[in-house]
Amino acid sequence: MKIAVCIKQVPDTNKVEVDPVTGVLKRNGVDSKMNPYDLYALETALRLKEQYGGEVRVITMGPPQAEAVIYEAFSMGVDDGYLITDRAFAGADVLATSRAISQGLKKSGEFDIIICGKQSTDGDTAQVGPEISEYLSLSSVTNVTEIISADAKSITVKRTLPLAVETVKLAFPCLISVEKDIYIPRLPSYLKKQATKDRKITLFTLGDFDDTDPMHYGLNGSPTQVQRIFPPEVNDKREMWQGESGEIVSKFAGKLKELKFI
Amino acid sequence: MAKIVFHKDKITDVEAFVRLCPFGALKVEASGEISADAGCKMCKICVKKGLGGAALVEEEPVEIVDKSKWNGIAVYVDHEDGNIHPVTFELIGKARELASKIGHEVYCVFMGSGITNSADELLHYGADKVFVYDDEKLKNYISETYTAVFEDFINKVKPSVILVGATTVGRELAPRVAARFKTGLTADCTILDINGETDLIQIRPAFGGNIMAQIVTPNNRPQLATVRYKVMNSPERSDEIHGEKIICKIDGRKLETATEVLEISPKEKVKTIESADVIVALGRGVKSKDDIKIFEKLANLLDGEIACTRPLIEAGWLDAKHQIGLSGRTVRPRLIIACGISGAVQFTAGMNNSEYIFAINKDEKAPIFKTAHYGITGDIYEIVPALIKRIEEGR
Amino acid sequence: MAKFDKKNYLDIEKIIRDGERVLYKENINEEYSHDELGNAHSAPDIVVKALTTEEVSSIARYAYENEIPLTVRGSGTGLVGACVPVCGGIVLDVSQMNKILELDEENLTITVEPGVLLMELAQFVTEHDLFYPPDPGEKTATIGGNISTNAGGMRAVKYGVTRDYVRHLEVVLPDGRIVNFGGKIVKNSSGYALKDLMVGSEGTLGIITKATLKLLPLPKKTVSLLIPFKNISKAIGTVPKIIKAKCIPTAVEFMQKEVIEDAESYLGSKFPDSTSDAYLLLKFDGNSKEEIENYYDDTAKICLENGAIDIFISDTDERDETIWKARGAFLEAIKNSTTDMDEVDVVVPRSSVNEMVEFSHALQKQVGARIKCFGHAGDGNLHIYVLKDDLGEREWVEKLNSAMNEMYKKAKELNGEVSGEHGIGFAKKAYLARSLDSANIELMRGIKKVFDPKNILNPNKLF
Repeated sequence: MKIAVCIKQVPDTNKVEVDPVTGVLKRNGVDSKMNPYDLYALETALRLKEQYGGEVRVITMGPPQAEAVIYEAFSMGVDDGYLITDRAFAGADVLATSRAISQGLKKSGEFDIIICGKQSTDGDTAQVGPEISEYLSLSSVTNVTEIISADAKSITVKRTLPLAVETVKLAFPCLISVEKDIYIPRLPSYLKKQATKDRKITLFTLGDFDDTDPMHYGLNGSPTQVQRIFPPEVNDKREMWQGESGEIVSKFAGKLKELKFI
Repeated sequence: MAKIVFHKDKITDVEAFVRLCPFGALKVEASGEISADAGCKMCKICVKKGLGGAALVEEEPVEIVDKSKWNGIAVYVDHEDGNIHPVTFELIGKARELASKIGHEVYCVFMGSGITNSADELLHYGADKVFVYDDEKLKNYISETYTAVFEDFINKVKPSVILVGATTVGRELAPRVAARFKTGLTADCTILDINGETDLIQIRPAFGGNIMAQIVTPNNRPQLATVRYKVMNSPERSDEIHGEKIICKIDGRKLETATEVLEISPKEKVKTIESADVIVALGRGVKSKDDIKIFEKLANLLDGEIACTRPLIEAGWLDAKHQIGLSGRTVRPRLIIACGISGAVQFTAGMNNSEYIFAINKDEKAPIFKTAHYGITGDIYEIVPALIKRIEEGR
Repeated sequence: MAKFDKKNYLDIEKIIRDGERVLYKENINEEYSHDELGNAHSAPDIVVKALTTEEVSSIARYAYENEIPLTVRGSGTGLVGACVPVCGGIVLDVSQMNKILELDEENLTITVEPGVLLMELAQFVTEHDLFYPPDPGEKTATIGGNISTNAGGMRAVKYGVTRDYVRHLEVVLPDGRIVNFGGKIVKNSSGYALKDLMVGSEGTLGIITKATLKLLPLPKKTVSLLIPFKNISKAIGTVPKIIKAKCIPTAVEFMQKEVIEDAESYLGSKFPDSTSDAYLLLKFDGNSKEEIENYYDDTAKICLENGAIDIFISDTDERDETIWKARGAFLEAIKNSTTDMDEVDVVVPRSSVNEMVEFSHALQKQVGARIKCFGHAGDGNLHIYVLKDDLGEREWVEKLNSAMNEMYKKAKELNGEVSGEHGIGFAKKAYLARSLDSANIELMRGIKKVFDPKNILNPNKLF
């Protein structure tokens, strides 16, 4: 089975703050890590490989230092890594990111299945996976909670719907996004880390793609624009309700209704 | 669109300038020129803080769509076998509000099998037109076939805005549609507004809710946004019917797929307190094991779970999986109602990040009231049954 | 000793002048009769929740004059009954004396009242980029309690125990006098080390009302290594070699498959590896991931040379959570897997840890009760639990006693001590007596007599 996993490097913490005056993100250390949700995608891929044979590659887009997450994936048992990095991709929104990654996936060779994490912890959109499947014209399912079985041509998975659980069989090639906790991700192995520290990563820049039109990528290829960012309102008020119980109960029920719990 | 150009001659301290970038994307090339790598998020801090025009944004011409050709606010009808998901009504309400600001109509797009009759329900909530695609091949939701229908609808109707519930289906379908039309999509919006240019103003949380971003899609149509359930207000159902139902057909060849739905089974209610949206937490104020039933009823009415503090575990009234706290589990539900809990740190450390914390306790000095957003001084045996009665009557 | 009566109650209420802080008879919560493990049970005659040193002093003087037993209590998270008023009398609850009084960033010290919780202290100093290293598992314990047991915890391997961080104590003596031991000084060669004597005295010599603690700069990053071995003896056998190498981990824990499985079922979540029977868990701290990586490399090599199957790296919060949450839940998980249990907290020389563990495993068959264990391999402190399961009461007591006797006997044989960090309290008295020379006990009795001639302070504890 040829498996590709999309991963992303994200800030080590999402405790970011916005400067209320200038409206820009406050710099908060430079530590970064692999998007925690991607670990579940990696674990799923590695288990499929262990059970059915084949190989696992990872692909990521980001600045040159994003190669760190690829090496981390190697130390978990991944065979191959691809980094898409070019200034032309700067400022990309979901559409432009998905376009670049799908071009990179095409260039990285044949695949049977692409596995994505549920979402990233910085953008939180959960959209890149489905958009990649559209760009590559693949069958896709999100919210996969269980792998039932796989063979040479297809994979059968369980996924959640708003009110039901569905068992779906997808023909290869296809794309799945897995839920958190589908499996507990393995930890990076020191032995594997030692063995792969000199492994070559393939770099892709715009010129390597089939579609080299710079207007399709980065800020140019992004239909959405962030107009401003600002700190959220925090719910730090404290109210005490005292008095006659009938009154309190009305107030209580009213509040629950206002907050849409009833 | 735009790019940032750096003017080396206007920068006195190159090192300091490079450090301006919060994403570490600025580099000094061997030639001494400064460049931004793929880490650039176009936040433009270097433009704002790099004095004397060290970095400037150069606008590039962009193609702008003719917005007057795109009209109407459309809502995707989320459903399973014709049972309409309530987020749909909330979105119709929002769509109505937006549409009236710009003089547009409200549309629903409803796809499935054997759903034509169910479509009438939407006309009670204020949709002007409901476009119904009723086809056997649409019996099960499959992203490719539903995207094909969506494509047909968009080409036919050309709506300016499309709102989709951020359910598991919506969060998969909306991005596919957006990518097919090479247009923008903003996920999990919490506030929506619209300006005179028919640009949808979308506000959403990012970085796990630590910041909010305001996003627009100024040059593309349609504009897509997803919204979570219980964020917008549901309009009242009116007894009268308003608007019309339009039956649509799609070429069956467009609904071919290699994806096979093998089985659909009802969702087992996952009974873990960590995954619960609503928790009714019990403490020492509960007098006997039998009384737990009372609170279970409240939890059921709120679609939540029962949890407790350590003494109840030790008394053997509930099993350890229900314990919140340092030696138990950490929970972060949307709503937690602490009943008869004094509020020792052992407990509060396991739940103080919950979104709405209500506490009922006889003792007005109980420390739980320092953690609660809404503190109720009273007897849980009086308040909770009365609340249950009130909720039941309200249904 | 005098019998406690209504008059005493009224007198005490007069001293405190706040009815809500004096609990008498039916107003006394049941929890004041036991501690976390609940093996010692005895209700106080009265509970006083003190707020100031002066109140503590007045209560002590009153107890002294009227010869009423006085037992101090913090959060009640102890495991050996040290805070249980086995002779009745007054329980002095100091948990509301919980103010952080001063952070001295020049001398790197913090001064606190005894009721400050360990977790509150940790959070406060972390916010100031400082570090209080002692890290016992029970984060809701009070600092006063930590000092009274000389609590150890996981970081003892590198940073030592509570005693190493106490610089000064304000103490109320049993007769009500307020005295100071130690100070914000780094060195001290001025007579007997009374401060060090107070640390670990389990509330039998005086009442701690204020403490100044030493702090360190906060290490910014930690990396944990989870190291699987074929069996426990290979795992523990590697520990002395790890310690001998240049780089000292902050923690060296050992754990076995079955305890991990208990934690998995207790927490309802999986541990990140299940391939092996035994694991070592090491933690390193430093200022950056890279610094720590260079640092642990030698340790990794030592482990591999000594039979480690691999070395798993945990370098993010999410990964740490899956491992350390399980580790943190061991006690509760074991407790949850049985009907009742008792514990042994022996400490043996590091080189003998393996022998002690194997001994306790073998003991299961011999006495016919389940015995589980985990602990701090790095400092030789083991936590061994004897489980009641469905044994009848009489059978249980019999088997428990024989298991305890055997284990303490073995510990002594290995030149170990009765308690590493939980203390002696009430529950382990007999074992301390058997383990120590009579001369040692005599000295302790003498010291007790000097501090507390009327034997009112936490009587019937330790020896």
